[in-house]
Amino acid sequence: MDLLQGTLDMLVLRTLRAGALHGYGIAKNIRSTSNDALDIEFGSLYPALKRLEAKGWIASGWEMSDHNRRAKYYKLTAAGRKQLAREHSKWADFVSAVGRIMGSLPEVKG
Amino acid sequence: MTFWQRLKYLRPVRRRQEERDMREELESLTEIAGTKELGNIALAIEDVRASWGWTWMESIGADIRYALRALGRQPAFVAVAVLSLALAIGANSAIFSFADALLLRPLPVRNPAELFDVTSTTPDNPFEGMSFPDYRDLRARNRSFSGLAAYRLTTLAVAANPTAPAQMRFAALVSDNYFPVAGVTPAAGRAFLPDEASSSAQPVVMLSYDFWQQSYAGAQSAMGSTVRLNGIVFTIAGVAPAAFTGLDRFALPSLFVPLGMSQRLDGEMADPLEDRGRHDLVVKGRLSAGSTLESARAELAIFGAALEREYAKTNRNRHMSVRTELQRRIQQTPQLLAPVKMLMGLVGLILIIACSNVANLLLARARARSREIAIRLSIGAGRRRVVRQLMTESLILAMAGGAAGLFAAYGGIRLLDTLSVPSDPPFVLGVRLDWRVVEFSLLVALASCLFFGLVPAWQTARADFVSALKAGGEGVSGKGRTVGRDVLVAGQIALAMVVLIAAGMFLAGFRNMLVKPPEFRTDHLISLDTAPAVVHYSPEQTKAFYRRLVDLVRTMPGVAGVAMTEALPLSPAQTVATVVPEGYQFPKGRETEIVFGAAVDARYFSTMNVEITRGRAFTEDDRAGSRRVAIVNQQFAKTYWPGQDPIGKRMRLDSAAGPVAEVVGVAKTGHYLAVNETPASFAYVPYEQNPRSRMTLIVQSADNPAALAAPLRDAVRSIDGNVPVFNLRTVATLYESRATGTWLQFFQMVGTMGFIGLALATTGIYGLIAYTVSRRVKEFGIRVAIGASRRDVGWLVERRGLILAGVGILAGGALTAAAAPLLAASFPGLGLSSPVVYAIVPLVLLMVSAVASYVPARRAAGLDPLRALRNE
Repeated sequence: MDLLQGTLDMLVLRTLRAGALHGYGIAKNIRSTSNDALDIEFGSLYPALKRLEAKGWIASGWEMSDHNRRAKYYKLTAAGRKQLAREHSKWADFVSAVGRIMGSLPEVKG
Repeated sequence: MTFWQRLKYLRPVRRRQEERDMREELESLTEIAGTKELGNIALAIEDVRASWGWTWMESIGADIRYALRALGRQPAFVAVAVLSLALAIGANSAIFSFADALLLRPLPVRNPAELFDVTSTTPDNPFEGMSFPDYRDLRARNRSFSGLAAYRLTTLAVAANPTAPAQMRFAALVSDNYFPVAGVTPAAGRAFLPDEASSSAQPVVMLSYDFWQQSYAGAQSAMGSTVRLNGIVFTIAGVAPAAFTGLDRFALPSLFVPLGMSQRLDGEMADPLEDRGRHDLVVKGRLSAGSTLESARAELAIFGAALEREYAKTNRNRHMSVRTELQRRIQQTPQLLAPVKMLMGLVGLILIIACSNVANLLLARARARSREIAIRLSIGAGRRRVVRQLMTESLILAMAGGAAGLFAAYGGIRLLDTLSVPSDPPFVLGVRLDWRVVEFSLLVALASCLFFGLVPAWQTARADFVSALKAGGEGVSGKGRTVGRDVLVAGQIALAMVVLIAAGMFLAGFRNMLVKPPEFRTDHLISLDTAPAVVHYSPEQTKAFYRRLVDLVRTMPGVAGVAMTEALPLSPAQTVATVVPEGYQFPKGRETEIVFGAAVDARYFSTMNVEITRGRAFTEDDRAGSRRVAIVNQQFAKTYWPGQDPIGKRMRLDSAAGPVAEVVGVAKTGHYLAVNETPASFAYVPYEQNPRSRMTLIVQSADNPAALAAPLRDAVRSIDGNVPVFNLRTVATLYESRATGTWLQFFQMVGTMGFIGLALATTGIYGLIAYTVSRRVKEFGIRVAIGASRRDVGWLVERRGLILAGVGILAGGALTAAAAPLLAASFPGLGLSSPVVYAIVPLVLLMVSAVASYVPARRAAGLDPLRALRNE
């Protein structure tokens, strides 16, 4: 499933609300949470992470992983939290607006 | 990312750090997730880097590094290209700056394009000027000009106090609105007040910035202090700004004095400002908002006619005219126009030759590089990236050439700026580097570099690059594909031929000029000017002063003879005589003739060794009260009395109603103002019958004339310490500077142009032939392998060079034939029809071309066929 433009940032912020994760962890988390519906390529996720970091919404630092390996972990900042709230309400508005237009799934007459 | 966020990444160090970080992070992730899961890591980093927004800068950096490496591999190519550009840009900048100083530089005023020269002329007087009453009327009544300023250039004797020796300085006697019309505000002190204009006002003076610096060390305290000008005490009111050097080209006034002071400064009986017949003012007008040059001309034509009706006596045949500053300068110094045009034409040709040289080099490279470009395109380089790469190379080349050119220009200007005329006060040429022309030459160089530098990109873009790859080193070029470059080289040779012939003509003419000895003695002579009038001598006192001076100097040890003249031949200040030759049929509208002329004493001809070809020289018996006599030169006799005996002819002096003088002798025609002038008419009158207020003393020495300088100065001082002495110099010095000095410079300049043209054309032909050889190595190998002798191969190459040269020389001959009348018209005095030049120049070109192609020909002949064939 392709993502709507700008959604990726929101998904990353939302995923990090639960706690710090490394880059690959974020990708895995999004995939599993969406029941494999959203398979985000690491190659597009990574530049998004760097972008969010440059904007100051997430911060990173080196930590030890569960398997005792060094990795860079990303966590939400206060600014990131605020941004997530903004994106969330925008998203909700968007979904309800589209929902009103689309209604329930029409029957296909054969 | 916003601009501010991106700015953090501007520093390369920061970017490198960030990249290292990312690589480390991704490597650690690879260990956790495996390569397959993460995909193309390099691409991910690339994307992040792109989001910083500095990739364009990095790629330009890479382009520059790559370009420098590519250029570094071909030092000879770079050297020739940069040198060509440097010579062309340097020569153009230097010559244009020279022309600028001679003719083109705008006046140092606000909006110089608005300022026009207003003058009045009559058909029989080429020396024009306005009278003050005419100026006053025009200023009051005209509508075309928002301001009209008048001035007169003169020399004043300046002294700080009554006992100090006086110095001669240029001064401008100016109307009250002179500075406002020029749009100039004083650098210190104040400008003139309106009530300071009248002749009865308190005398005030403004200094030039340079004079203020020299004489007062730029002290503010100079304002309000006094200075003596021609013995009159003036109060210093202000200082003109540094950039304002007056409204003349070569004579830069040190002092500005209100015109109202004229009468007192010159010690005249009548006020010159009330004399409508005295036309000695220069008038500059600033055009008012609604007027154009045409409307101003129309208005002044009507106004001039009205004055002519009103004042028939003084304004008969007098017309008012409006000219641009350039028109005025060309009219004033027509002899400058030809050399300036010629030099500018020559450097223009050199610029073309140099650009085609660079074009040729770049084209040669283009062929060699088409394979490289094809490879880069085939492995995925964007066409735009390839073009940018080539442009970077061209730009680096053009910039290096431009920088070197600036150095060359600077050197040339330093050389030209040493030109000056030794006189008191000095005339200055003031050659300055002109940035307009530097920009222009740079642009031309840049354009030609970019245009021809892009040819390879265009070629490979057009051609299918697969075929370029397959064709190997030969690229898309077959044997016959150098037509364009052949034309360029032949064209270069043609242009070089024009440059060389013009230079050669000049050289031949110059040689004629130098070989011809001066028509007067230059050795063992020293001269000095005095001006007793500046200390307000009456005419009788002046006469007595000169009589005493001559008597005193004659008795001085080491003096072999003394003579006097109004103006030395070839001195920059020549005097003129107004004559009405008997029986001469004047053209319509004219009634007098103005010729060069001077009052001289009886010993002038023998002291200066000026030959009297018929009749006699002046004698002591030609004095006041005796029959008036005159001597004319051969040219005068030929012009006004063709085919008649001039001895015994009569002519009126000064005006149609003036006294009659009888011609008693004919002098040999000489050069009076410049050595390259066309033969000019000259009339001598005896000093005793025509006393003048300012004379030049000529002293013949037994030994070294320079040794007499100090005793002569003392002699004048012993008679009157307040009489200024100036232009004290040997006649040889004057002659050298006026005859040889200036022309030697011109000669060197033109010679240099010729040499540069030849050098550039030679490199052009050498480059092309060498290139052809390198392209045809395989072919030559085969020829030698199947039995051609080495000489055959060498000749094959040599022949090509000679054919190119031949075609170029033919084309150059045609061009020269077309340009010859122009050249001959430009240098009337030089005798430019020198057949030797026409014969030598093609020979030189042919020889140089033969040598230039001999070097590559030898290489071709020396090729080892086996290695040549293996060469891929």
